[in-house]
Amino acid sequence: MNDPVEFIRNLGRKALAEHEVKAILKHYGIRVPRYEVLEEYRPVDLRYPLAVKVSSPEVLHKTDVGGVILGVKNEEELKVAVEEIRGKFPGAAVLVEEMEKSGVEVIVGVLRDRDFGLAIMFGIGGIFTEVFRDVTFRVLPIDEDDAEDMLTEIKGRKVLEGFRGIKVDREGLKELLLRVSDMAMDLSDFIEQMDLNPVFVREDGAVVVDAKMVLR
Amino acid sequence: MMEKLFNPSSIAVVGASADPSKIGNVVLRNLKGSGYRGNVYPVNPRGGEIMGWKVYKSIPDLPDGVDLAVIVLPAHIAVDAVEECGKKGIPFVIPIAGGFGETGEEGKKREERLKEIVQKHGTRIIGPNTVGIYVPWSGVNTALTVPERSSFPPAGDIAFISQSGALGLLTMDAISPLGVGISHFVNLGNRVDLNENELLAYFAGEEHVKSVAMYLETFANGREFMRVAREFTAKKGLVVLKAGRTAKGARAASLHTGALGGADGVVNGALRQVGAVRAYDEVEIIDYARALAYGKPMFGERVGVITTAGGVGVVTTDYIEGSDPGMGLRMADLSEETKKELRKELVPFASVENPVDMTASGDESDYDAAIGALMGDPNVDGIILYALFQTPLVSERLVDIVARWMKEGEKPIVVGVIGGEYSQRMMREFERRKVPVYPSILRTVKALKALKVRGDYLRRVRK
Repeated sequence: MNDPVEFIRNLGRKALAEHEVKAILKHYGIRVPRYEVLEEYRPVDLRYPLAVKVSSPEVLHKTDVGGVILGVKNEEELKVAVEEIRGKFPGAAVLVEEMEKSGVEVIVGVLRDRDFGLAIMFGIGGIFTEVFRDVTFRVLPIDEDDAEDMLTEIKGRKVLEGFRGIKVDREGLKELLLRVSDMAMDLSDFIEQMDLNPVFVREDGAVVVDAKMVLR
Repeated sequence: MMEKLFNPSSIAVVGASADPSKIGNVVLRNLKGSGYRGNVYPVNPRGGEIMGWKVYKSIPDLPDGVDLAVIVLPAHIAVDAVEECGKKGIPFVIPIAGGFGETGEEGKKREERLKEIVQKHGTRIIGPNTVGIYVPWSGVNTALTVPERSSFPPAGDIAFISQSGALGLLTMDAISPLGVGISHFVNLGNRVDLNENELLAYFAGEEHVKSVAMYLETFANGREFMRVAREFTAKKGLVVLKAGRTAKGARAASLHTGALGGADGVVNGALRQVGAVRAYDEVEIIDYARALAYGKPMFGERVGVITTAGGVGVVTTDYIEGSDPGMGLRMADLSEETKKELRKELVPFASVENPVDMTASGDESDYDAAIGALMGDPNVDGIILYALFQTPLVSERLVDIVARWMKEGEKPIVVGVIGGEYSQRMMREFERRKVPVYPSILRTVKALKALKVRGDYLRRVRK
């Protein structure tokens, strides 16, 4: 994607498909899994195992409706998976991604606050996001100190400091927050909310595994 | 310009009354009781005289040069009175009555008219639906509480901006027995014109003001608040009690981010970003405002504690070191030199570890020595001192000692005083000498934490 602002300006709808969000993230130097977008089955140049997902602005919560198939091990399985998704969601694009090695799961979000405008959220992600509600917010844009504060402010801060041998690239995570800040400021006329959840944070950096965005 | 609001040469009270049960009379009595020395012009079509002041029959009849008009009339006729004040060129008008935007369509229309008056005549409006302002050093008091039943604080260092009138008056009444002073009180009310941002910008350069305490239910303009607050906190301390935390953000939450309690989380983040200290009730707001007005910022997290009662030191340690609720503070490890010095100065059975426990035989010179030792210890960033007057060796002179260290020392000190009547009298002495003093362990620790929040922020913006 060359110009995310132009892309969004001309989009003509309120939600983005996952592969569109990921293309924008890539544009801002934010790491996402290697992926290809398929209209129908074809061989892909990706490393197995793969994740196969429906990628449609109409389907925001893919897992709830059976729109995600994980652990696809070979071409044969890929073919079956792609056909299954296509059968369930006719006309929708199919996103085929390399499965990422897991790490500490965090959530990074953007929201539009009534009083303060665009804000960024950061916290413990994954399936327990809404159980722990361990998140913190800053008004955008943020600077490096804000990013550091956010990492130290959550109750689960210890998992980001290395925990039971799990190593975490704190600097990479802060860099991700700053890049999300840049991106949201560029798109500030359009963006309403964004979820990057989960983001896997490992020793070798932070990777956005799932991404959703809705516009005003 | 704002001087004419807070230190007006003359005040008109429109809707003045000779009947002591009427608000139009209470406002006059409060003006008199606060020692306002400028001209007071009651306005009432009946004319005559009230409390020795000549009554004017109408606003156009008023002499020129009125700086402030208080409108005590009901909403439906108040708007016309404000308009007449505008035509008369009165720079500040306070319409006290409710019956505006808070009541529905009719009231909203009235507010629209008030905004038009501001546009047309350049008159500035505080309110409506407000108790107005109280400024002890100039004697302006437009409040409508009956003076026999509530007290107002003396002149002091804290400017208090409150969106709620009642909470503001109650808070001021509640702090009066301790003798806590304020520099200005402004009740924003329905905030059709003058808002917290403009006031904050003004108070940044106002010499009476050492810190600002702000009670808000909504922000007039969040982004503008952040801009002004950043400039303010570079100079002075700011405390914000932002209420309405649990009200549902109620945004269209199709994503996680929207469902995770964003509205209050964003307020928290914004306050952190501008270096404001957040308070959660009417006690904390003034506690922190006093600490910030009188005390030095705390650069670091290591606390030295001085006490004559072991248990008080233990509870304090638990609050400081406990992670739930976490204070972001920790107990200092005193240097060997400090311990040596303390051993020399204090009684043999005193504890020279932190908390420094001088025991009941600690006297004023022990306090002096202990403060001096901790002030000089590079491992200590801030001091909590318990002034416990129940022991015979400690007298009022301790107040002088602490007040001197407040001036001479480079680290913040907050004082805890636990006890009854005698101790409360001592607290008033501390307060009079502008030493931040608190009647409980928790409040003492939290006050120091407020100074640490400010120190953290200043260290960051100055680097």
